Amino acid sequence: MVSLAEDVAIVAFAQTASHAHFNDSEPAMIMPCVNSVIEQVGMDRHDIDFTIAGSCDYLSGMPFAFVMNIDAVGAWPPVYESHVEMDGAWALFEGFVRLQSGDIDTVLVSGSGKCSPGSYREGFSLQTDPYVHAPIGLDPRTQAGFQAQALIAAGKATERDFAEVVARSHANAKANPYAQLSGDRSVDDLLAEPYVQQPLRRLDCPPTSDGAAAMVIARADKARELSDNPVWIRAVDHRIESHHPTLRDLTDSPSVRIAAERVGLHDGPVDIAELTVTYSPEEIILRDALGLNGDTAVNPSGGPLTGSPFMAVGLTRVIELARAIANGDGRRGVAHASSGPALQQNLLCVLEGDG
Amino acid sequence: MPQLHDVDYTLEYPYTRTTGPVIGPFLTGLRDGRILGQRCGHRVLCPPMEFDPDTFATLEPDLVEVGPGGEVENWTWVGEPSAKHPFDRPFGFAFIKLDGADTALVHAVDTGGDPEAMSTGMRVQAQFRSERHGSIADVYFVPEADAAEQMIEPGDEPVTITEHLIGLRINEPLHPHRARFAQGLLDGKIIGQRSPVTGKVYVPGRGYDNMSRVLMSEADEVEVSNVGTVVAFTELNPVQYYGQTETEPYVRCSILFDGTDQPVIGIDIRDMTVDEMRVGMRLRCIWRDPEDRSVTDIDNRYGNIPETVYARFKPTGEPDVPADELKEHSW
Repeated sequence: MVSLAEDVAIVAFAQTASHAHFNDSEPAMIMPCVNSVIEQVGMDRHDIDFTIAGSCDYLSGMPFAFVMNIDAVGAWPPVYESHVEMDGAWALFEGFVRLQSGDIDTVLVSGSGKCSPGSYREGFSLQTDPYVHAPIGLDPRTQAGFQAQALIAAGKATERDFAEVVARSHANAKANPYAQLSGDRSVDDLLAEPYVQQPLRRLDCPPTSDGAAAMVIARADKARELSDNPVWIRAVDHRIESHHPTLRDLTDSPSVRIAAERVGLHDGPVDIAELTVTYSPEEIILRDALGLNGDTAVNPSGGPLTGSPFMAVGLTRVIELARAIANGDGRRGVAHASSGPALQQNLLCVLEGDG
Repeated sequence: MPQLHDVDYTLEYPYTRTTGPVIGPFLTGLRDGRILGQRCGHRVLCPPMEFDPDTFATLEPDLVEVGPGGEVENWTWVGEPSAKHPFDRPFGFAFIKLDGADTALVHAVDTGGDPEAMSTGMRVQAQFRSERHGSIADVYFVPEADAAEQMIEPGDEPVTITEHLIGLRINEPLHPHRARFAQGLLDGKIIGQRSPVTGKVYVPGRGYDNMSRVLMSEADEVEVSNVGTVVAFTELNPVQYYGQTETEPYVRCSILFDGTDQPVIGIDIRDMTVDEMRVGMRLRCIWRDPEDRSVTDIDNRYGNIPETVYARFKPTGEPDVPADELKEHSW
């Protein structure tokens, strides 16, 4: 088991719908989420000890765009505040670690991204190696295509398997009011669609999405004071693989295997897994690397294939899992967030219900 | 009459980077029509690296020519190239293990737009662009049978710096409050937003009051005076960075319009020198003729009251407002 200095729980969470286009600013998108979680805990905003956000200036299309986002979190008079140029799940990780020092009680976490104004393929290609990858525009969808082809070549999956992930995700999303895409789709119909990135078809890839999410986490005593139904964060771990895709085994995820070991994933039942499956083949790799069997409900929310606001989508996985546990759909589960192309970086977060 | 427009711009910067002892020779080689790998124990790495990817131990530069032929180990077909890709027609991206190398290079394969020509195990060969700058984009690959003989004239100096023009394309409608503000300028009006919580008036509105964390809408909008007070100013001496269009010094000031609580910053003053500017000075916006106004410089990120809507800011002749009364608004 993981040994923590301080037990930490999620006491409030909120998310926007996944919008195909949110026609207002990023702060205007975040603000209702922040207001909702502050209202849920019933605190004065300035009594929250630490504030941290995750977002990406490349998506916002403005240097220091994250500074503008502070408009949404209520930072005047000045608050103790930080930012990660990562998905909000990493903001949660920093907040969780910050609480371990035991001197503060509460953290406001948010994540936000608007993909619709720009081209995420062009923007995220700038996060690759600046000498040998970025100048040829090596984009995340291409790297997902490599991963899909590698799975097929290794005999580990077929295009039909990818389509089955899509069909199941879209069917699950019918019950998710925040989903952007949902519905009953037959595997044969999906396979009849043209390729956009052979061997990937349009719905093997995420929709273009805008969205935000926020959460309040607290140390144990404070968590019980703020919530009747806290959801405990038992462990978080983040592992990275090479940024050179040719040096990786793209059909496996050693970083997920290590993270799963470190968070003690199988020290208890895994009722639910909310996974950042940005491209359908990733679910096949993640299920295998996490050692999941038929007892685990995978992406009951529908997952990122049905709504993928980058920089909020990982934090949203944690929220979807927390909601499911708070609702009693399961007692223990894992949320997964990813960064970089083709599952290059992976974060796992184990949540457990009260009692 | 001038119309509103969608936001459509490219945010662009040239990034220059030093190349170091391994990537430098590699890029020099590409410029000169050769592909180099780095020795790492019994292996050859291409792309070359300054460290052993397994142990992370530093490698002494030890480069060896590889290719120009190689084998495709993995591939994916790019049916819809992005503006940053090496080709504007469909092509294959591939893992290419060059002859003599033990690791694969990611690069583009041009099959004339035919995905059927791609396969794992296919032989490809490097082709060099006629214009080369010491960049990974100096080279691309074609099926071996399509390769042409090339005579490459080597360059003079080794490549020690790379320049990469990065760009982000942004295309979106003006946000509703920005559209109403911009339309106001075309109509010769300055539109602000009054906080329903504090009553403070912000110009231009952002669609929310960040002090009270409350969203604002058209119902909160008010037309404000076109007369205001200078609360801050500075002289800009244009540095000739990439994309700079200004050449001569000019004044930029912040004006607190009457009845508002937040100055409009970044207003350009072209007909007064910095010596003629004073904090507290009263100015009136003199609009351009309606058909001469344009708000194309306003997007969702930048642009307040651009000089494309006004002819000048003219001193009213009123006594200055004491600077002490403006302390709250000096930005």
